[in-house]
Amino acid sequence: MAFAALLSTMAFAQSRVTGVVTAKEDGGPVPGVNVMIKGSRTGSFTDENGRYSLPNVPANAVLVFSSVGYTTLEIPVGGKSVVNAVLTSDAIGLDETIVVAYGTAKKGSYSGSAAVVKQDAIKDAPVVSFEQALAGKAAGVQAMSYSGQPGSEVEISVRGYGSFNASNMPLYVIDGVPATSGDWGSGNISSSAMNFLNPSDIESITILKDAAAASLYGSRASNGVILITTKKGKEGDVVSTFKASVGVSYFSYKKHMETVSDAENEALQRMSFRNYAEANPSAWSSYGSVDAYVENRIARYYPAYDYDKYIYKNWEKAIFQHGVSQNYEYSISGGGPKGKVYASVAYTDQRGVVKIDYLQRFSATINGEANIRPWLKLGGIMQYSWQYQDGHQDGWSSKDNPMFMWKAVLIDRWPYAYKASGDLYEETFSTRFNTINPVAQFKHQVNDVKQNRVVLKGWAEVSFTDYLKLKSTLSSDWLYVHDKFGWLYGHPNFTAYGTGYASDKHRNINKVVSSTTLNFDKTFDLHHVAAMAGWEAEREKFNSLRLGMTDFSYLGATESIMGTTFDEGYSYSREEGLLSMLGSLSYDYDNTYYVTGTFRRDGSSRLAPKSRWGNFWSVSGTWRFSKEKFLDYPWMNDGKIRASYGTSGTLPSDYFGFMSVYDYSYYGTDGASYPGNIANTDLTWEKNKNWNIGVDATIFDRYSFTVEYFNRKTTDLLLDASVASTTGFSSTLMNKGSMVNRGWELSLNVDIIKSNDMDLSVGANWSRVHNEVLKLSTDDEAINSGWFWWAKGYNFYQFYTRNYLGVNKSNETINGVKPGYPMYAEGSFYSKGEVVDQDVTLKNGKVIKAGETMPEDGYNYAPARRQSASSMPIAGKRAMPKGFGGFNASFRWKDLSVSMAWTYKYGHYICNSTQDEIANDGYRTFGQPISVKQRNPWTTTNADSDVPMRIYDNNQGGYYNSSRMLVRGDFARLKNLSVSYNLPKNIVQKLSVRNARVYLSGANLLTISKCEVDPEIQSDGYYNYGMPALRTWSLGLEVSF
Amino acid sequence: MKKILSIILVAVLAISFTSCKGFLDKEPTDSVVAENALATLEDAGVAVNGMYTLLKYYTVFGNYMIQMGDLRADLLVPSEGNYVVYSYDYEASQNSYFTLWRNFYTTITRANAIIKNIDALDVSAEKQSIKDDYLGQAYAVRAFCYFNLAKLYGRPYRLDNGASLGAVLITEPVSPSEARIPRSTVAQTYTQIENDITTALSLLSKDKNTGHMNYWAAKFLQAKVALYKGDNNTAYTAAKEVITDSPYSLVPNADYLASWALTGNSEAIFEGLVNLQSAIDGDNGFGGSFYYSMWFGYTNCGATIVPTKTWLDLVQANPNDIRNQWIAYDDPAGDGKKTGETWLKKFIGNTGFTAFLNNPKYMRLAEAYLIAAEAGNATGKSDANALLLAVAQRADPTVTSITATPENVEKERMKELIGEGDRFFDIMRRNGTYTKADPHQVFNEVLSWSDNRVMLPISADERIIYPELEQNPGYKD
Repeated sequence: MAFAALLSTMAFAQSRVTGVVTAKEDGGPVPGVNVMIKGSRTGSFTDENGRYSLPNVPANAVLVFSSVGYTTLEIPVGGKSVVNAVLTSDAIGLDETIVVAYGTAKKGSYSGSAAVVKQDAIKDAPVVSFEQALAGKAAGVQAMSYSGQPGSEVEISVRGYGSFNASNMPLYVIDGVPATSGDWGSGNISSSAMNFLNPSDIESITILKDAAAASLYGSRASNGVILITTKKGKEGDVVSTFKASVGVSYFSYKKHMETVSDAENEALQRMSFRNYAEANPSAWSSYGSVDAYVENRIARYYPAYDYDKYIYKNWEKAIFQHGVSQNYEYSISGGGPKGKVYASVAYTDQRGVVKIDYLQRFSATINGEANIRPWLKLGGIMQYSWQYQDGHQDGWSSKDNPMFMWKAVLIDRWPYAYKASGDLYEETFSTRFNTINPVAQFKHQVNDVKQNRVVLKGWAEVSFTDYLKLKSTLSSDWLYVHDKFGWLYGHPNFTAYGTGYASDKHRNINKVVSSTTLNFDKTFDLHHVAAMAGWEAEREKFNSLRLGMTDFSYLGATESIMGTTFDEGYSYSREEGLLSMLGSLSYDYDNTYYVTGTFRRDGSSRLAPKSRWGNFWSVSGTWRFSKEKFLDYPWMNDGKIRASYGTSGTLPSDYFGFMSVYDYSYYGTDGASYPGNIANTDLTWEKNKNWNIGVDATIFDRYSFTVEYFNRKTTDLLLDASVASTTGFSSTLMNKGSMVNRGWELSLNVDIIKSNDMDLSVGANWSRVHNEVLKLSTDDEAINSGWFWWAKGYNFYQFYTRNYLGVNKSNETINGVKPGYPMYAEGSFYSKGEVVDQDVTLKNGKVIKAGETMPEDGYNYAPARRQSASSMPIAGKRAMPKGFGGFNASFRWKDLSVSMAWTYKYGHYICNSTQDEIANDGYRTFGQPISVKQRNPWTTTNADSDVPMRIYDNNQGGYYNSSRMLVRGDFARLKNLSVSYNLPKNIVQKLSVRNARVYLSGANLLTISKCEVDPEIQSDGYYNYGMPALRTWSLGLEVSF
Repeated sequence: MKKILSIILVAVLAISFTSCKGFLDKEPTDSVVAENALATLEDAGVAVNGMYTLLKYYTVFGNYMIQMGDLRADLLVPSEGNYVVYSYDYEASQNSYFTLWRNFYTTITRANAIIKNIDALDVSAEKQSIKDDYLGQAYAVRAFCYFNLAKLYGRPYRLDNGASLGAVLITEPVSPSEARIPRSTVAQTYTQIENDITTALSLLSKDKNTGHMNYWAAKFLQAKVALYKGDNNTAYTAAKEVITDSPYSLVPNADYLASWALTGNSEAIFEGLVNLQSAIDGDNGFGGSFYYSMWFGYTNCGATIVPTKTWLDLVQANPNDIRNQWIAYDDPAGDGKKTGETWLKKFIGNTGFTAFLNNPKYMRLAEAYLIAAEAGNATGKSDANALLLAVAQRADPTVTSITATPENVEKERMKELIGEGDRFFDIMRRNGTYTKADPHQVFNEVLSWSDNRVMLPISADERIIYPELEQNPGYKD
């Protein structure tokens, strides 16, 4: 009886307690808080909404709420069934929950290396894609635009470059699912697949850098992983927000390819013809005199202005305009205990700086989830985007590239239109390029890309207990790209397409991913164990269809159906599969010692059955030394050391590179087939072995910093390795060679002022990556890849060309180089101990006479003519920066806030390939713009000039590739500045809105650089008339209801 | 219970998605897995076509071989550029001309793949002859490639009876490591060529097969190889057989100029077929157009190789010679006066194609006559003069007699075969001499057949990964 009474009392006294844990600072829910019954081993964690639920809690129990970054709080239950807690932050930033591989983690306890970029840092930036706002934001991460055309791809590099013939791009993961990324442009214009995401729909971006962070993505993780988390509904009132902005853009860098005035141009060209005539009497003999010859040439190529007949126009104004962009978006967010929803629609419209550039995007997203049962949650995300991008040819010396036309072809005195008729002048300007008025061409070219993308995700989460959950996700990511290219009938200057060319390409890529993970998370006293196990399957289907026709009869026809001659047409498809199993296990003790291990096994269809499965793993640990008694100083808010080691991989870019295949083409009118490759069934991943050591600390409540050292060694590099020609092939894809990227990363943040009315904080980050090729197929092998030299001991982006030694300023001919002409290093390589066959000048100036032996490996630096000079690696000149990073500052005073972000890079070179046209010392150009660098060339009376003699038909000068084209690329740029003002509460209330804000945001406002071209270009540093970055001012309004 | 059901449902859904068979086994759609590519006789026919595709490119007979044959000697001269070959200035570290070596080995690899795989094909008795012919073509093409490799990389056979280094003999598909074997001697290379020709002759069809090697092409090759070895009896007999028994005949004078535009004209024993695709983007585009260096009328092509004064003098000595009409004159003033550079207009472009696309002619009956005349004269055959006359008379019907002296044969070869890449090898096989009448004064030199520069260098880059490949004497890596 007594026993029964006791039982019933206990049953009565023990009940379920639930509650919500929120943060004092922002009132938001705090997930992952450990809720324990004091003195027992029973406890639980709050979910992502800050909710917890504990069964069988004695009425007199005390609940202990603890979480990294918060002061531990104890609350007596007192018989209540709902116990809410408000936690106070005990240090800066540690409470932050960050999205990591297959889950979330507390920043304070995370042992991997990950950089987080929050919505706040990108929200007002006038950009199409979030990638454009990443520059300078995170240590170790470079974001470089290929072009200033709206919608272009941004190249993101995480901790250097690890691949020769495979991708160096990171893996993009959106809301937990790998996404299609990269450039889906037409080949003429670039179009990033990430454009489909409206930046305002992004909650946060995490960039995973080391093995501990990224290894769970296995065979695709070597170049880092970019995790994008889109916005979800928030519990609470339904909030809807309308945002609108209008922006204006124009070129941002004044010094970009400066050219001389029309009059100066003529004078320089006069000099060029005169020098030529004086050196070649046969040139002028039929004219009678040098003067007559020069006047004849000038009259031909520099005709006098004829205002009666022609209209002249400033070409810059004729081709370019101030770009105008508009952006409108509306979102709605809300939820309650049963579920929550976020939805948005947005429209972007950008008129480009080039008059034919245009971008338009519609996007919409819905993200919802519902708590169907206490143990079952269902959710889904739908993202849709439609984008139209009309652009121009970019990045090469094309007649259809406005940058090329403006900076390398057009001079003021070429007519724009006929005065009498007003018709555009369409005669040939330059015989060298057969170029004409680009404005006349604009209407006869088509370069556009349309992107349609639908991303669908559905998931279910089953909670078996409060510490064991199963989550399954199925997703489909469908991208349809249609690009169109045409030189239409009427396009005045392309002979091969005399009567027009129009082509279409349709591409579909559909990625279906299914993943299921089982998560365990439990605390036993001071011990906390978390484990995850799961699998993932990914199937990608791609197909494309292309058709091109030529020879049109109707002026203005734009579709190939009007063409009469078939040019090209085919369909193509491919499939890819990836199967994975993954798991992780982590343990920590008293929030002081953490150990984590991860594992992933990937099987890929890109590899042969016997070698397609590979294992990737990592181990990492953290010691929070600030928790130790002996280091428990009051000024030390937090301090920890973390270390990790692990492996990851990169798959071959080639989908079927391991297989022996026959290729098909034609012989005469019949089909032909032949072996297409050498099978390499041993083909496997590039393997990355990473280790990382970092220290994070926060002191005096305001200084926080992170220092990290990393070492990323890539072995089994995927290399199109040379093979003996007797195989019938010149190269085959092999795993050969190795490369290392190692370096330091430093970030520092200081909260200078923290008060109710005013905040001021500044931050900086700096990274230094040392890259070195350790080995190719053999120790001796070197590969000349365009402007670069891949060889043992050299940087991946080591420039390789003729070594320019300057002007021959003496009055004697040196090794065939006449006075005033440029000198180049002879460039032959000699190994140590080799008997040299000519006089060799070493780099230090020492001369080894013919017949003597070389004291060391070295190149011959003796001056030589251009024709006798060989290419060599140019010591110390590479496209990869020695250091890079960013600064940022933000200031708030009451309702006004100002923030700015800078990016910088230094210690690298840019190859300004445009010099062959505008700084070629004469060559065969005339009536074309000339670079300001060509002023004051060498003459007998100006013999100290660093600019070579200017002479027509110059076959020694700047037309030919040499290290003279390499210019320092150091720069610092104010990427973004925003001023934002929240309308005061009383006004807001009068308007009966929840919140209202106006802001002014600018991009690329200020650039500090000595570079002769806009220095913010893609990683290989090769500049060839690309569209430079634009300065944009944007004015916006945000109102929430 | 519901819980358990849901879990089962989720698990089943999840697993069914991946359990489909062959999730990781994918095949390309733009190529065919090798095991399936030679499954039928029709497949083999397509692969046989594949042996011929490279030879027509500008990197082989479309241009480079012509430079090796005519630009190195006294028939063609650069109008600008192209001095490297012209002045024997090639080095082991320069990469431009190693495509010849590479393309011949790629073609040999294709032939080897057919030889290896065709046996496995089960064919009916009535199709056995087709199978034999395909196999014969593979042997014949391989012999043709080895002959060209020997000409380019070895010393002339007669200098040392083939003792110098020749080609690397690869006779079956090889892996990258198996491919690294040392070079054979020129004599061994010739033995391989002769064996392949013998095998080919026993298999090949005697029917005309435009663009492909048939019995007569192999026979022609046998004659030419014998001529290079100094085996004049074989050369005469083989060439004579082609002349008398083959379905080929010399194109008459009236049709001769226009015949260069035709595919499969009556004297083309073996030619490369350029394709009918658009010339804009394909392999026949600006960069790869055949003979573009010699074409005169197309500004974008930059005609950079022109006939020498030696050749012009030779042809212009007889105004009746139809080959005078191969000479075209640049007309910079536009006044119709022949004041500019002189161009070669022999290759007028295939009918219906962009003007500068030509089928390279690898073997013509006219040359069979010239071989028979030369070998016949050397072995005292009575019809030697008549054989030479046939070619001379075709060019100028007023010629009624000619003696087949070595000098006359040589002159006729020069006149007839310009632009076909034969001259330099022709001189070297006989240890002949020649004069470079160079208007540019860039280079004046006469090579003897023992000069190291008669052989091209082996690529220094290739030797890094293939050290067993011995360099030719006189070259530094």
